[in-house]
Amino acid sequence: MKRNNTVMDRVFVALVFVFLYAPIFLLIIFSFNAGNSNTVWRGFSLDWYRELFSDRVIMRSVYTTLLVSILATVIATFAGTFAAIGFYGMRRRKRNVLTTVNNIPMMNADIVTGVAMCLFFVAFFHGWGAFAKWFNGIQALVSLPERLTMGFGTLLIAHITFNIPYVILSVSPKLRQMDKNLVDAAMDLGCTWMQAFWKVILPEIKPGIVSGALTAFTMSIDDFIISYFTAGSSSSTLAMTIYGMTKKRVTPEINAISTILFCTVLLLLVITNIREARQEQLELRRRKLPTATAAEAAQYASRPTSRLPKLLAAGGAAALVLCVTVMAGRNAGKPVVNICSWGEYIDESLIDQFEQKTGIMVNYQTAESNEALYSLLKSGAGDYDVVVPSDYMISQLIEEDMLEELNYDNIPNFGLISDRFKNLPYDPDNKYTVPYTWGTVGIIYNTAMVEEPITSWEVMFSDEYAGSVLMFRNSRDAMACALFYLGYDVNTTDVGQLREAFELLRDAKERGVYQSFVMDEIYGKLEGGNAAIGAYYAGDYLSMVENNPDLAFVIPKEGSNWFVDAMCVLKDAPHKEEAEAWINFIASTDANLANMDYIWYASPNEEALESYPDYYEECYGEELDPEVFEIMAPSQEILDRCQLYLSLPAEIRTLYNDLWTELGI
Amino acid sequence: MKNKLSRFAIPYVIWMALFVVAPIILVVIYAFSSAAGGFTLENFGRMGTYAVVFGRSFKLAIIATLICLAIGYPVSYMMSKEGPRFQRIAMVLIMLPMWMNFLLRTYSWMSILENNGLLNQLFQKIGLISLYNSVFGTNIEYFHMINTSGAVVLGMVYNYLPFMILPIYSVIVKLDRSLIEAARDLGANSVNVFRRVILPLSLPGVLSGITMVFVPSVSTFAISKMLGGGTEMLLGDLIEQQFLGGAYNPQVGAAISLVMMVIVVICMVVMNRFGEGEEQAVML
Repeated sequence: MKRNNTVMDRVFVALVFVFLYAPIFLLIIFSFNAGNSNTVWRGFSLDWYRELFSDRVIMRSVYTTLLVSILATVIATFAGTFAAIGFYGMRRRKRNVLTTVNNIPMMNADIVTGVAMCLFFVAFFHGWGAFAKWFNGIQALVSLPERLTMGFGTLLIAHITFNIPYVILSVSPKLRQMDKNLVDAAMDLGCTWMQAFWKVILPEIKPGIVSGALTAFTMSIDDFIISYFTAGSSSSTLAMTIYGMTKKRVTPEINAISTILFCTVLLLLVITNIREARQEQLELRRRKLPTATAAEAAQYASRPTSRLPKLLAAGGAAALVLCVTVMAGRNAGKPVVNICSWGEYIDESLIDQFEQKTGIMVNYQTAESNEALYSLLKSGAGDYDVVVPSDYMISQLIEEDMLEELNYDNIPNFGLISDRFKNLPYDPDNKYTVPYTWGTVGIIYNTAMVEEPITSWEVMFSDEYAGSVLMFRNSRDAMACALFYLGYDVNTTDVGQLREAFELLRDAKERGVYQSFVMDEIYGKLEGGNAAIGAYYAGDYLSMVENNPDLAFVIPKEGSNWFVDAMCVLKDAPHKEEAEAWINFIASTDANLANMDYIWYASPNEEALESYPDYYEECYGEELDPEVFEIMAPSQEILDRCQLYLSLPAEIRTLYNDLWTELGI
Repeated sequence: MKNKLSRFAIPYVIWMALFVVAPIILVVIYAFSSAAGGFTLENFGRMGTYAVVFGRSFKLAIIATLICLAIGYPVSYMMSKEGPRFQRIAMVLIMLPMWMNFLLRTYSWMSILENNGLLNQLFQKIGLISLYNSVFGTNIEYFHMINTSGAVVLGMVYNYLPFMILPIYSVIVKLDRSLIEAARDLGANSVNVFRRVILPLSLPGVLSGITMVFVPSVSTFAISKMLGGGTEMLLGDLIEQQFLGGAYNPQVGAAISLVMMVIVVICMVVMNRFGEGEEQAVML
């Protein structure tokens, strides 16, 4: 009956494989690129591999991914097998109901599963907190932790939960195929109940268990969405790290880790397949020549080599886990501080310096925007000690009683902060904050791609450069662009004015003015010449212009926003003292100089700001361009043209959220 | 004896109640409550504004599912006709990309589709862009591919194609060959054999493939963010935005999730009914 495939058919199949593998091979090729681009080849190098192994964030997330996948697979395989046996022993009606429930995590959209579990964990932690408080109050023998947060534990629970159904799915058919009398026969012959299970049931369903475990592991490794909602802030899988990175500048270290993962998996598969192929050949031979070679074949099959690949694979996996564990687990047990800041917003060597100086380990995370940070805090997904929100978000957090008052005795370096950055409207008595940086918002454009210098916000709404304009992906900044252009107060609470600004944005979006809405992805897009114009922060412009000298920055004539980002400690933060040590360290003049040099945002530390031009000259042997310094730390004259965002009343904030969601639609 | 076995399932039943059923009940509760905590239907009142997103998500997911089916079915069918060795290697090759996280694979497409990306560089080198310009009298430097719905669909097809191939293949490969021989003996030509025997019998695989591609496609948010640039919001983005994104409102997020869930379930039930009908028709 078999009609063989025609040449055309084979070409088609081959093309599909090319489609599946071309992107993977490109990833691999560019992991050896000397430059940091994924599109331009600059020669061979192994730099990214070296960087990868010293990158703690990526290594940690690889470790988390492997650990959670392996643990979840083992537990789910075990639990799933027993559950399948249990289901098998049930009456039909009951079994059908339970099978339906069991199918939910498989059939449900991942995002719903993730969101549901996130809500559940947070609700449970609230309840637990109240219970623990009460329980600790009535007795003194056992002290229950009052504060639980999402982390590795919840991540593992989530993975186990979505893995078990796959195990059940592949074990159940094997159970149904099993001869029902086998177990009875075994027991009649004197097997105990347990023996019957080990000697009869288990061998029968073993293929199902193995394939279930394999599916579970694949699903765990491949998962992103459920992890994203259940991992909290303290643990992050590789996928989450990559997702975080695609929102800013992606380093080719990602290509390097992809290559390593791919090659490891390929190797394991090749080993197991060679083994299977060999066994199959044996089988074939045995069938063809029954008696004479059966003994030979049996001898062949029992050769220890057939075990070797399995052992190799297991040993390799164990070694890998051990290796990563050692690398990631070195610092277990030390005091920690959890920080959430913005992307590209710190000289990372400061983290190492701080850790060496104080012995406190830093868990450094980033959020995308003030609004996203607020969501993380509110939803319980973010569990931080220190956050670095902007002015208006600080007032909102203070208003909602989410910040802890600082003990300024622990932060002597607060004295170095310039007086003009103290007691600002968002924290009038300066009880909660220590400023981190300040700067302005403006328009960044590629001089090679525009006709004449940009001077007005108009360009963000006109058709002139439609398709090459990048707009902010956060409501406050995006609305501000429109409000400035319309000549309204940026802190307006007039619904009519806000609607008008919104219509301006929506209209521009519908006319195709915006190539996309971005936050830190703007780096790649403007540096690579993929977009011509984008509104963003001055400090980031100075970082970008280092990589693409064609870029220019302007504070539009209609005025703009100036902002202060300040470090705060969250209410009931578990590591308040460590948090204050961090804040004090970052407020020092040395740290501020290093940071300014790295991120190009102006420092609120008077001494650091004034000495920066000298510092620059010392470091690079050339004078700092005064124009650059002016963009970084604009004079009062320019600041006078700019406005600080103020906190908005709750109903206006809701309006912002609604309008923002509507704009996205 | 059998009833004794059922005890094994007790721990998992408790686990399910805690981590499968309770979370979903919580979503339902959230969907029907206001920010202050009382009962409300207001969260669903906004669904009208989001109709566009629902429409777009379902449209893109359906397109992606159809493309996956159009590619996946022939591939599965052709694979099943090759030798066992080829089949095994092919299966491994189809599974293999899934062992790299799907974000890695999507990320790779970003650099391929960019305006200055690899594909546009290639088009430039082989003169496709100048050819296009001279034929259509345009003056473009690149084809605009990233940040379009096309790119999003491509990302879905790329990531979820294995989910279509695997179930279809595993059904086709287990088909009883004697049925096909019988059909042939009874005079059916190869078109008829395919249409009246193989296709109906492989339907369960097709249905489960469709489910496995459609559900993640309709609810994705990473793909649309990475390849769609966030200009065309999908349901996943909308939900994510209400929970961890830029517009915190978990009640509305839960309501959207619930509506999506219900629509998906209805689709599945209708499809499976339709599928069962087909199977019965074949039996008759």
